[in-house]
Parts: sequence; structure tokens; C-alpha cells
Amino acid sequence: MDLLLLKISLVAYLVAAVGLSLYLLSLRPAAYRMGTFGLATAFAAHGASILGRSLAAGHLAVTTEYEALSFFACLTVGVYLGVQLRYRLPAVGAVVAPLAFTVTLASFAFYAGVRELPPNLRSAWLPVHVTAAFLGNAVLALAFCVSLVYLFRERQLKAKRAGGLSSRLPSLEALDALNYRALAWGFPLLTLGIVTGALFAKHTWGRFWSWEEREIFSLITWILYAGLLEARMVIGWRGRRAATVTIVAFMVVLVSFMFGHMIFPGKHGGSFD
Amino acid sequence: MARDLLIVGLNHRTTPVALREQLAFPETALGAALGQLKSVPGVREAAILSTCNRIEVVACIAGEPADVGGGIEAFLAREREVERSAFAHHLYVHHGRDAVRHLFRVAASLDSMVVGEPQILGQMKNLYAEAASVGTSGLVLHKAFHRSFAVAKRVRTETGIASKAVSVASVAVDLTRTIFETLEDKTVMLVGAGKMSQLVARHLKARGAGDIVVTTRTFDHAVALAREFNGTPIPFERLAESLKLADIVIGSAGAADFLVGASVVQEVLRARKQRPMFFIDMAVPRNFDPAINDLDNVYLYDMDDLARTRAGNADEREREAVRAEAIVESEVERFCRWLDGLEVVPTIVALRSKIEAIRLSELEKALASLQDQAPRQRALLDALSSSIVNKILHAPLASLKREGAADQPDLAASVRRLFDLELPPPPDSQNSEEED
Repeated sequence: MDLLLLKISLVAYLVAAVGLSLYLLSLRPAAYRMGTFGLATAFAAHGASILGRSLAAGHLAVTTEYEALSFFACLTVGVYLGVQLRYRLPAVGAVVAPLAFTVTLASFAFYAGVRELPPNLRSAWLPVHVTAAFLGNAVLALAFCVSLVYLFRERQLKAKRAGGLSSRLPSLEALDALNYRALAWGFPLLTLGIVTGALFAKHTWGRFWSWEEREIFSLITWILYAGLLEARMVIGWRGRRAATVTIVAFMVVLVSFMFGHMIFPGKHGGSFD
Repeated sequence: MARDLLIVGLNHRTTPVALREQLAFPETALGAALGQLKSVPGVREAAILSTCNRIEVVACIAGEPADVGGGIEAFLAREREVERSAFAHHLYVHHGRDAVRHLFRVAASLDSMVVGEPQILGQMKNLYAEAASVGTSGLVLHKAFHRSFAVAKRVRTETGIASKAVSVASVAVDLTRTIFETLEDKTVMLVGAGKMSQLVARHLKARGAGDIVVTTRTFDHAVALAREFNGTPIPFERLAESLKLADIVIGSAGAADFLVGASVVQEVLRARKQRPMFFIDMAVPRNFDPAINDLDNVYLYDMDDLARTRAGNADEREREAVRAEAIVESEVERFCRWLDGLEVVPTIVALRSKIEAIRLSELEKALASLQDQAPRQRALLDALSSSIVNKILHAPLASLKREGAADQPDLAASVRRLFDLELPPPPDSQNSEEED
């Protein structure tokens, strides 16, 4: 059942990606409706799939690679849909939808059955740690999408190609401000995720930090984002540079998601010994 | 007597401005003129569009369009005190579908001198409101105008026609909007007092730009210009150090060399904590070093860049116009179907009630002459007469109801003539349908 729902959401992500791109090219309201409706449908089906699996497992379904990727994609779309309630941002949606599609598709590569949660992990820390970390990553994923749109727009403007598609995108100032706000929300969540993770580890395994690969990756992204936030606040970094660093930092997040587990299996990869 | 839409008018393409000025209705004269217009034979509802680019009478008529059109022409001559022969050959007359299409195209700014300019819609709304307030518009014009407003909205949101600036000044203004979300907290700096750069500054001010700072080689000019913009004059020698105040810098000063180099701007950016800047170079030879465009968070457009953007916009506008016409066409179709159906339903109702009245009176007579009035016989006669009437009416009603048939209004008219039917006057509701 959860797999069927996931497949439905996958198709809907594709529909949304096509719809929103078509809208940007043609301004047809039908395409916009198709994109937004597709994304909302995908989110609902995806959420239902995760919920179903979580209920079957008896805990939040984020303990396998497949589940983690899937949960992450779903949350990212959720964050976008939340923002979209206030700001109409089809251009960002046109990046979020294919991203969600790709990540969800990638999660299939790791598909596995429900895994029992070892008793030593059953703690109130787990949902707090997982929610903070994943929500943080989802918000930063949105920052990544916004940054891609920013870079595209900026290049067009510098190259004196201001017409056509790029005239339908938000202003550079708005994109940069959105990027900043996403960072300002995402970074504390990420920090909270790491801190609660450490406390959780102390509680379960008796040590805060074990230099596991996932922890190392998290530390790298944390340092990148912290540096970016610092640079933005203190020396007024913005625009292209800020967007570029946002993109690079998020690439590290993606890599840690996709390959971290395969290369070095650890607790976060699902071996909890 | 089917209802038809008729437009008699002239515009900037058919008529020289001097004549348009003579024929234009002053705002104050509009109400009285509308009253006169309503008394032209055949005119059932009327509105007047009078702007600097067009004078048009939009009417819902009953009768021959040519006759009513002649009446309207005479009305224009009388009302504006211009010889009919002076403007008759400039007039165009549209009726039926063409009139609907014309009205929609005007509202959507497809018929404007500058295609896509937004003012016409507001003017039309006001002029229609005038007709509505003096009571010369009715069901048909109400629907026609409100549809035209809806068409305009569709064209504006579904095509890029309105967003594509076509003058160099408006291209420059549009570009500021692609960089800055709001102009309210932005400072505009004028370097030199060129006509076009003043125009851009005025546009920016109209769109909410904050401070205007002016510097020219002759300080007195700067002072005078600054007063005009309610801004601040700055001595020319302090140009470089003042740059850090400016978000938008417009250059139009006469100078053999660049007035602002890339290294200066780099310093300025550091002082501004990298807040973005937009340089618009409207001077030839140029005031700003093109290398400025290579710096982060700074954008520089010179006259060539603006002209190229404008040309691109014009191409795009043409493509978008094709799509806009398609939208108009589908809406015309929709409106005409509504108009055609307008008299069909009352005709059906009138036909039914007339036949039913005949049946009932004949039934009464028959029953009265019957001695023995057993309830069963009564019921039988009633059923028999009903059944005959329904069988006979079935085929004609079915053809009348066949929606969208081209001859539907004619058919309804024939039925009314054959059965001598009178239609009740249509309700002159102003708010039967809200703009959608």
C-alpha cells in the first residue's frame, strides 16, 4: 500500500514539474493549476505513504535509507507548499517538483521492507532529533531551489537577456531575501537536530559524538551554513556568492543522504550496534 | 426583434487628432448626451466611450443596424455640433459578432495606440459606470461590458502582452523591478540632467521610489532639478563619495571619459555592504565604465542594452498578441451564444403559456356542455387535451432548445410571429451578474 501511494506521488511530482514549467513558459492558468494541484496531490499521497508505513512499523518511518530519502523529499515539498500559501512562487516550485521527483525516485533504489526499531532506540529523543534534522534539511532544500532560480535570473540580467522567461521570475531582491529567511530558519533547525542527536547518542550509546560518517557530513554542512550566515550578517554577503554557497552546502547534504549510507554503514545507515 | 450590439465610432487610426478633439465628449456633458442617445430610434441601451484616442457609441439595438447607425451618426453631429460630412468617412460601424469582438479588443488594449497599455480599461470602467448611473445601460450592455473587463483581465494575466515595455524609458523602469522588489526604500541618483533620464526618474518616483539625488556639472541646474523632484542636489565633485547612497544611478552627463570607474564602484559596494546597485547609462559617450557590470551585485545597462531589450520585448509582444486574439475570439463566441439564447427562453415560456391557456379555456367549454360530469370523464378529457398539446409542441420546442444552432434566434423570432407572441420586457437588472 505504501509503495503504491509512493508511486502515485512520483507520477504527481512529474505532472507538477511539467505543469509549473509549462506555466512559466506560457503563463497559461491551466498549467499553473496542473502544477500546484499535482504538487499538492503528490504531497498528500507521499505523506499518506509515510504515515501508513510509520503506523505499520510503530515508529516514524525514517530508519532505512529509503525511508530517510522519501521523508526528506516529502518534507521539502511540504515546506514549499507552506511558503506558497503566502507567496506565489511558481518558479521555485518548478525547481522543487523535479527535485522531489528525483530524490523520491532515488529512494526506490534503496527500497527495503519495514525494519524493527531496536529497543535501545525507543526514546523520546528520536522523534525530536529526526524532526528537527529533517525539517532543517527541508528548509535548506528550499533555499537551494531559490538559489538556483536566483543564479539563473542573475546570469540572464548580467547577459542583458532580461525578457521572456526571466521576466516572469521574482525580483533578485525578493529571491535573495527568501534565501536569507530560509537560511535563518533552516540553520537553527539543523543545529537543533545535531544537538539533540548528540544528546540522544549520549543517552543511548553513552557518548555524544562517534565520528560516524553521517555526523561528519552534518558537521561539514553545519560549518558551511554557519559560515554563510555569519558572512551574510557581518560582512553583508549576498546575491550570487550567497546563492552559490547555499547550493554547494546543499550538495553536501544530498551527497551525505545518497551515498553516506552506502559507503560507510553506521547507525544512521541503519546498523545500530 | 432580435437584440443586436452596434458600435459606431472612430479612433486614432481612422481619424486625425483635431477632429477627435472636436468630437470627444467632455465628462460633464456625458450624462445629458446619453439621455439623448437613448431616444434615437432603435436604441434600447447605450454607452459612450470617449477618450483622447477614441469616441465610440456602444448600443444594444432592435432594428436594422444601418438605420440605427445613421441615427447615431446624426446624434453625434447634433450633440458635438460638427458637420456630419466632416467625420462620416472616418467612422466605422460594427454590429453582431464584430461589435462584440471590437469591444473586447478595446478593453484588452489590443486596439490601443500602445498595445497593452493599461489605462483604457480604467477609462472604460468609468465610462460604463456613467451609463449605468444614468440608466441607459441594461441587461445586454451590462453583460457585454463586464465580459469585456473579464477578457481584459484574462489577456493581462494569461499573456505577457501588458508586461512588455516598449519605450526605452519604461524598459529601464521595468529592469529596476527585476532587481529590486520594492522601490520605496531605494534612492535614485541622477548624474546629469538628460531629458530621458529625467523621464525615467519621474517614472520611478511614480512607482514609489524614495529619495532622488541630483548632481550636474553646473550646481544651479542640480538645485533647480532637485526642487522639481523634491530631492537633494549634490555638488558634482562629490559624485564618487555620494554614490554609496544610491541604489539606482542614471547617467546622462556630457563627458568625454567615464565618470565612474569599476574600482570606485567596488569601494562603494564595500561601504554599502554589497547592497545591489543598478546603473543606467543613458549618455553617449557613456558615463559609466562597462566593466562595472562584471562586479557582483551590480548591473549596468547602457543605451544599446536598453534598445536591444526593447526590441526583444516588441517581438515578444507580437507573439503574445496572437494568443490574446485567440482569447478574445473564444470569449466572443461565448458572449454571442449567451445573446442568442437570451430571447429563446422567454419565447419558449410564452409559447407554452399561450397554448396552455387555449387548452384550459377549451376544456372548460367542453366540460360545461357535458351533462354528466363524472370525475372520471373530467380527468380523461384533461389528460387527452394535455397529451395532444404536448405531442404537438414537442418537436418545435425541441428545435428551439437546440442550443448553439446558428439559426436559433431567427427561429425564435419566427415562432413569435407565427403564434403572435409578446415577450415581457427584459429585466433591466444592473447586478444580474458580477464581473468574473
